[in-house]
Amino acid sequence: MNEIKQSPRQDDVLVIGYGNTLRGDDGVGPRVAEAVGRMRLPHVRTLICPLLTPELADPISRADRVVFVDAAVDAPKDVQWRELKPNDTSQIMAHAADPRTMLALARDVFGHAPEAWWLTIPATDLGFSEEFSPTVWEHLDVAVRKIQDFCVKTGRN
Amino acid sequence: MSKRIVIDPVTRIEGHGKISIFLDEAGNVSDAEFHVVEFRGFEKFCEGRPYTEMPGITQRICGICPVSHTLASAKAGDALMAVNIPPAADKLRRLLNLGQFIQSHALSFFHLSAPDFLLGWDTPQPQRNVFGLIASNKDLARAGIRLRQFGQEIIETLGEKKIHPAWAVPGGVRSALTAAGRDKIRAWLPEAYATTETALALFKKTLEKHHRELQIFGNFPSLFMGLVAEDGTWEHHGGKLRFSDSSGSVIADQLDAQKYFEFIGESVQPSSYLKAPYYKPLGFPDGMYRVGPLARLNVCEQMGVPKADAELKKFKNMGHGKAGHGAVTSSFLYHYARLIEILACVEYVERYMDDPELLGDDLRADAGINQLRGVGVSEAPRGTLFHDYTVDHDGLLQKVNLIVATGQNNLAMNRTVAQIARHYIRGNEIPEPMLNRVEHGIRCYDPCLSCSTHAVGQMPLQVQLIGQGGAVLRSIVRG
Repeated sequence: MNEIKQSPRQDDVLVIGYGNTLRGDDGVGPRVAEAVGRMRLPHVRTLICPLLTPELADPISRADRVVFVDAAVDAPKDVQWRELKPNDTSQIMAHAADPRTMLALARDVFGHAPEAWWLTIPATDLGFSEEFSPTVWEHLDVAVRKIQDFCVKTGRN
Repeated sequence: MSKRIVIDPVTRIEGHGKISIFLDEAGNVSDAEFHVVEFRGFEKFCEGRPYTEMPGITQRICGICPVSHTLASAKAGDALMAVNIPPAADKLRRLLNLGQFIQSHALSFFHLSAPDFLLGWDTPQPQRNVFGLIASNKDLARAGIRLRQFGQEIIETLGEKKIHPAWAVPGGVRSALTAAGRDKIRAWLPEAYATTETALALFKKTLEKHHRELQIFGNFPSLFMGLVAEDGTWEHHGGKLRFSDSSGSVIADQLDAQKYFEFIGESVQPSSYLKAPYYKPLGFPDGMYRVGPLARLNVCEQMGVPKADAELKKFKNMGHGKAGHGAVTSSFLYHYARLIEILACVEYVERYMDDPELLGDDLRADAGINQLRGVGVSEAPRGTLFHDYTVDHDGLLQKVNLIVATGQNNLAMNRTVAQIARHYIRGNEIPEPMLNRVEHGIRCYDPCLSCSTHAVGQMPLQVQLIGQGGAVLRSIVRG
């Protein structure tokens, strides 16, 4: 068994907003992360990406807490906040992964899986567009506030 | 009764494809084909758009090769404007492309292909992936992930985004490298060298156990094509085109990409959406040629940087023909060539770190439409990429032709899967590890089917034995 060299810690909270900004509501994750980034909350870092890729496991492993922000077409009709545990699954796509797989990668490869949550915003329209549906507009501010509250409550301000 | 085996979809490649293996009445493989079964249509729906939008639109063809498309597209724009871009812009585009090569080659080697030859062809499928690699060698897996991260950091540092950076434009680039960005990139170099050199040593050691794969994984004579500089040095963004054959002889050199249609023909096959380009003077299909790392190393004379040049000598010694002077013809050695290219890219990145011109602000040439047809050619990690645009006097696209690396390797991939299948497939009983070997023949080329197709979700493997009349005789589904 190889020794795992743990990466030095960087962030208290890492917010990862992911989704395709050209596919309507799928871009809500990046939009939420962008809004959180503009708040300049202390010890909070944001990452925006079209999809979760294996190399994100490195910054994830350096955080104490991670919030993944995503659009969800199969979720209940409100913003959901769920705790995540690392997956045991060995299934990984060539360049895209599930947040639980990312946590497993962070744990197995970089030596630390942080506490993590999955914030999902209900989405109804994933067609070709840079506009959001009314459903997303209705929940966007709620999602941002949830992250803000979480960072304020748990951060070392 | 003759039969057909279908591998659908092929896994651990970029996109959605399938393989058909045809059996004769005796149960022996008579032929095999690789198909791209989905259609994207960028060539058609880009018509009517302004050419200035094309670097942004065409990079959406793919999440792995966006840089390749944006660079080829920007170069096509340069040609329409008939401008020479500022030297700093050329260097910055090159730096971006080096980052693209590093991230894409690292993905191909560590994530997609290494599980097969490092863990073993017969390792159970659930473990034969990057997680299996982690369990087997965590340091290597982590180093591979971070090497890809390095390539993406270069892309993000220049273009502000890892994927789909809106940075290269007709006439140049939008912004220079900053001193902080340069220092960030420079800090990665020792680790990038160490990882690449470790992977090279490991792969060469692995070759000792893979004589059979070396012999039958796409080992046949063909032409090779790639960009080279005027003196024959390896190129990835500038230079002109060179064709060489499997004896190592250069058969055409310093060809102008603007006139590619004079020497490259494009055939279509009814079973695939992938075009099948060929070298026109030899006709179809005799004009089959390969592109990508193996081809680029076969056509060039030197890499132009010391560490990679030392490896290139070892690579060329593996060539066929008298005294090892012929081309390296085994597609299994695409993996080796890929690693040598990563090493060269890291060396070139290091060289750029000491170049003050990359911090300059003369970054863009400006002009209107001066030519109604322009071709941009650049080396993508997987091979030579052509963007050919015809516009009206307002710069609106009238016609678009894209020739992607995976298409140019189409004929060679077909021949590779047939060669492997003939060695491993007999009759109806086909163990999964045997099918994996056939799939790996495709993985050697690291095809990017997203450049001509698109797939989402899990990729199960379905194998069907189909009788001559079309009835499914046997079906295996791998989840």
